[in-house]
Amino acid sequence: MNGDLFTLLAPELIVIGGAVLALLLGLGASPGARSAPRALALLSVFAAFLVTWYYGPSPAKPLELAGMRFDSLAYYIRLIALSVGALVLLVHWHLPHPAERGDVFAMILFSLAGIMLTSLANDLVLLFLTIELVSIPTYILVSIGRSDIRAQEAGLKYFFLGTLSAALLVYGFSFLYGAAGTTNLSRMQLSPAGGFVTIGLLLAFAGVAFKIAAAPFHVYAADVYQGAAAPVTGLLGFFPKVAGFVALIKLLFLMQPSDLLTAGWNMPGAAFVFLWVVAAATMTLGNVLGLMQTNVKRMLAYSSIAHSGYMLVALLAGPVASGGPLRDGLSAMLFYIVVYGIMNLGAFAVLALIQARGRPAEELDDLAGLGRREPLAALALAICVFSLMGLPPTAGFFAKVYVFSAAISNGAAGWHGLSLIVLAVIGLINSAIAAGYYLRIVATCYLREPVAEPIAEPRTAGIRLGLLGCCIAILVIGVWPGGLLYMSRLPFYDLSAPPAVATHSNAQSPEPAETTEQVYAKEMNS
Amino acid sequence: MMVPFGSTEAGMLNAAPLVPLLPLLGAALVGLLGTRMLKGASHWPVIIGIAGALVASFLILGAVASAQPGTPAGQPDTTYRLFSWFSPLEGLWFDVNFCIDALTAIMLVTVCGISLLVAIYSRDYMRVTETETPEGHEGGPSAAERLADPHVHGHQSGHHQPVPERGYERYFAFIGLFVFSMCTLVLAGNFLLLYLGWEAVGLCSYLLIGFYYQRPAAAAAAKKAFLVNRIGDFGFGLGILFLYLWLSPWAPDGRSPLDYDVAFATIHRLDTWQITTIALLLFCGAVGKSAQLPLYVWLPDAMEGPSPVSALIHAATMVTAGVYMVVRCGEIFVQAPVALAIVAAVGAVTALFAATIAVAQYDMKRILAYSTISQLGYMFLGVGVLAADSAIFHLFTHAFFKALLFLGAGSVMHALAGIIDLRQFGGLRRVLPVTYATFVIGALALAGFPLLSGFFSKDEIIHAAFAHHPVLGTIGLITAVLTAFYTFRMVFMAFAGPERIPAGTHPHESGRWMLVPLVLLAVGAVGAGYVGVHMKAGGFLGFIEPHGPFHRFLAPVVEPYAATLHARVGHEAAGAAHEGHVLMYISALLAIAGILVAYVLYVRRRDWAKQAREAFPVAYQVLHNKYYVDELNDAAIVRPLWDSSRVLFGVDRIVVDGLVWAVSAVPRVMGFLVRPLQNGALQSYGVSMTAGMAVIVLIVWLVSRT
Repeated sequence: MNGDLFTLLAPELIVIGGAVLALLLGLGASPGARSAPRALALLSVFAAFLVTWYYGPSPAKPLELAGMRFDSLAYYIRLIALSVGALVLLVHWHLPHPAERGDVFAMILFSLAGIMLTSLANDLVLLFLTIELVSIPTYILVSIGRSDIRAQEAGLKYFFLGTLSAALLVYGFSFLYGAAGTTNLSRMQLSPAGGFVTIGLLLAFAGVAFKIAAAPFHVYAADVYQGAAAPVTGLLGFFPKVAGFVALIKLLFLMQPSDLLTAGWNMPGAAFVFLWVVAAATMTLGNVLGLMQTNVKRMLAYSSIAHSGYMLVALLAGPVASGGPLRDGLSAMLFYIVVYGIMNLGAFAVLALIQARGRPAEELDDLAGLGRREPLAALALAICVFSLMGLPPTAGFFAKVYVFSAAISNGAAGWHGLSLIVLAVIGLINSAIAAGYYLRIVATCYLREPVAEPIAEPRTAGIRLGLLGCCIAILVIGVWPGGLLYMSRLPFYDLSAPPAVATHSNAQSPEPAETTEQVYAKEMNS
Repeated sequence: MMVPFGSTEAGMLNAAPLVPLLPLLGAALVGLLGTRMLKGASHWPVIIGIAGALVASFLILGAVASAQPGTPAGQPDTTYRLFSWFSPLEGLWFDVNFCIDALTAIMLVTVCGISLLVAIYSRDYMRVTETETPEGHEGGPSAAERLADPHVHGHQSGHHQPVPERGYERYFAFIGLFVFSMCTLVLAGNFLLLYLGWEAVGLCSYLLIGFYYQRPAAAAAAKKAFLVNRIGDFGFGLGILFLYLWLSPWAPDGRSPLDYDVAFATIHRLDTWQITTIALLLFCGAVGKSAQLPLYVWLPDAMEGPSPVSALIHAATMVTAGVYMVVRCGEIFVQAPVALAIVAAVGAVTALFAATIAVAQYDMKRILAYSTISQLGYMFLGVGVLAADSAIFHLFTHAFFKALLFLGAGSVMHALAGIIDLRQFGGLRRVLPVTYATFVIGALALAGFPLLSGFFSKDEIIHAAFAHHPVLGTIGLITAVLTAFYTFRMVFMAFAGPERIPAGTHPHESGRWMLVPLVLLAVGAVGAGYVGVHMKAGGFLGFIEPHGPFHRFLAPVVEPYAATLHARVGHEAAGAAHEGHVLMYISALLAIAGILVAYVLYVRRRDWAKQAREAFPVAYQVLHNKYYVDELNDAAIVRPLWDSSRVLFGVDRIVVDGLVWAVSAVPRVMGFLVRPLQNGALQSYGVSMTAGMAVIVLIVWLVSRT
């Protein structure tokens, strides 16, 4: 990988190109042109994946160019976004009306490109823009193609509240800019002691909290999830969350010293307390409210909130220099988000597949007796829900193991360490509460007599294929977590092992960029 | 030494992952498509899967047998890594790895071979003929099954075409799952994977015992098996935990202390009491799984499952897992002489105890179950007296003749519509000629009749037991006589004498799918012993000498046992222990004597048997009621538990439930309180977001101030 920007950005360019083409083709008059966007979208995602795979993780040193930073984190996020994105496309396969196919698939691709660019952003302005690039297409996706009044309402609510959060985010960024005097993330060495930094961080965290549906910015989630079509809801559980968590990681890295990662993050006490309270509240509110629902979509919406809380726990534990995967909160979070995205998508794919009372299944009653009517769909739902619960041998089990063990064995000094342990205990109690409603879903499928004669919608090979992919991924990761764990550890190695100066001096890039580490190194010397 | 799969070093052994995977694939196919598409053809994927696994097992056997010293396969401590599993520490990964040596190869061939025959046999066994009227008095599965299923019962059309039983797909899916689990258990290269396979076979056993779950007896038996096994497995898990805790400091960098090669190479660094603790805890698991005293009680009840399941899981394969494990962990056990002595004692006592119970039973399958417990006792006796190769040899031959006997009993049961009580029928030799012939062969092998497989293997164990301690040897001999007696008591009661057929049944010889496995197993019951002997002038009967190719093949694996034996009695004496054929003649005569006694009592002078019963009524009652162990357990353990649990239940209802209700009310009340915020109005959402943010900032400010 050398410094040619077009080469470096090839995966994003492919996806965006695919999106533009899909949008144009969707306008075509002939039926052939109208059905093309689906295949085109899938093809461009595959192509982008292959290109990313071919490039491989970043070389010894991360490359910084044009406000972007090409490192292992970006590599990992690109890979997982594209792989889950392919499953998302499959689950959407039959959703849109033929006339809207171009719009829907283009929006998915735009959002996907937004995630990839977020992982690359090394500049506050670019970071803000890319996060919005992820969000804005999702506002459209929520209400597109649904004459249902609830979908329109959901889309509108989502948009207005999203705007509010964007305002918070950009307001926070402005404080950070004021404190640092630059928008380049690598050059913004912020001292955790500064007042502006604290205010800026808190506001920015609040803005991001909306994207990941963390309390108290979670209120929209249930209405929006319920209002949107099931496949779109599956997408909402992954796309904005990835972008939000990547932004959080980037913000947290602003304050790390060069010998970072000794024991967790270096951040203002206020920011730590803020994230701690948000994590605890998110887990608890999500599960407690989930327990009260009878609508499966709302139930999964609250579960989605709760899972953001678990991921915040891992993120707060942060990377630790020594110890191993069970102590590394950063890789635990990166591991968790993929697993969550897949299992959540799988559960919503089942809801999209099953028809009851002549409409897609939504209420618990709609699923009663599914085990007998549609054994395969019920099995897939059970796999996804057990994974959400964290039962072995599904992927969710190891995801939870890594998250909570990172929080418990983090070993941060003093009250940091202790409060993380408390947080882990809160999380474990919450996992138990969550089992209450997850098991209700499975029990309804298998133990109750049918109420509404659920049947799988015929001629939906796309959803079925996507669902199969989700289930296989859940089981494979559950049996062999090592592969994904290795990938999710790449960013950690990238950060914990500063590149050797020698490799930098003979670098091939036309514009030798300074890495974070070297900036710090210079500072240390001066 | 660690070799990854897929490398050329592993050679033919690259076939190993296929052994568990193919049956799993078959099971998954049946599980996913069985009820919809495959239906009556559900046996095919599983049979093909197991057949593939058998081929792979033979490839492995060939590769191990032809391994050259110096190559990975030629070294005893080679571990084959499939993939890294998960990691508790930096650099330390628990792998999914396999240990492949002579013992593994023998076990794989046995497991897959028997499984294949049983799966083929089940194709016909798990079908019912619609015209038969179900009048099973004792409630055998087939009869009860049809009673439980109104569809099959009410379908009294005239044709004789057998139809698949209800749950036919489920049955084959479980069988495939079992073969997968058992092969994982056998192939495992570390204790974690072993434990996983161990629990998985237990689960399959539970599911298959409870196959006719509509019948309360079957459901109760399944539960009993599961619970009793939990006791053993708890100890087993604890043993593995101690291994991990105590061996971790000694494991080389980056190697898991639970890998066999690491554990066996470093175990000597522990104190003797630690090794003994670990060995006894591991043996605790074996006692549960292999149904030894005092945890044997589940196995007789497990006969509530279909007969092929009894043959496969509860006779030939799963129950021998304990023996396999103890032999595999030789390095641990030989360093704990106390534990080994306990193994030998438990084995000997169980062998005798179960044999005496079998003498006074009337249910064919239960007689065979007690016989299995007794034979497993022999195997543990063998391991305990350091004749591990003989124990595995007996495991190997026993798999053939005991599976044969169970399948034969199943064939009788199938013919008699579920009746298996020996008091209700007799003289079936003309009605079921093939079943009769093969059953007699199996019975001769079990009884230790000279020149059949059971004779050679059992004799070796008795021989080794005598060399160890005369008491153990004597128990072995007494058990041998009893074995011959109860086996032929069963044979004569079922097949000899005047023909007695229960009213309402139309016995008929089973179909080809059932008879072919019977004949093949009969061949095995005769011939399997000959892989363990070699021809030599001046041997037993002038030409047979024990300890043949089988033992030489197994020698590298049982090296710890052999070395300990040599160290204890000296090389000369250890060699001499194999010499001499006096004992072989004695045990041959005793077996024949046992058969003759059974012949006299149950063919010639049936009144003598009755008189004997009446002469010793107490002894008969005690044996017939299995020493009242079930009643004793009931009175000593189950009742008190039940009573105390009733008290606790009362407490639970009032106190704990109240607490739980209160605790679970907290989330609900909280939810109720926050719910109004979720009223769907956009403005209030904005307000609650802002207010929430304000509250959190307040908290942050308060905390930061302190």
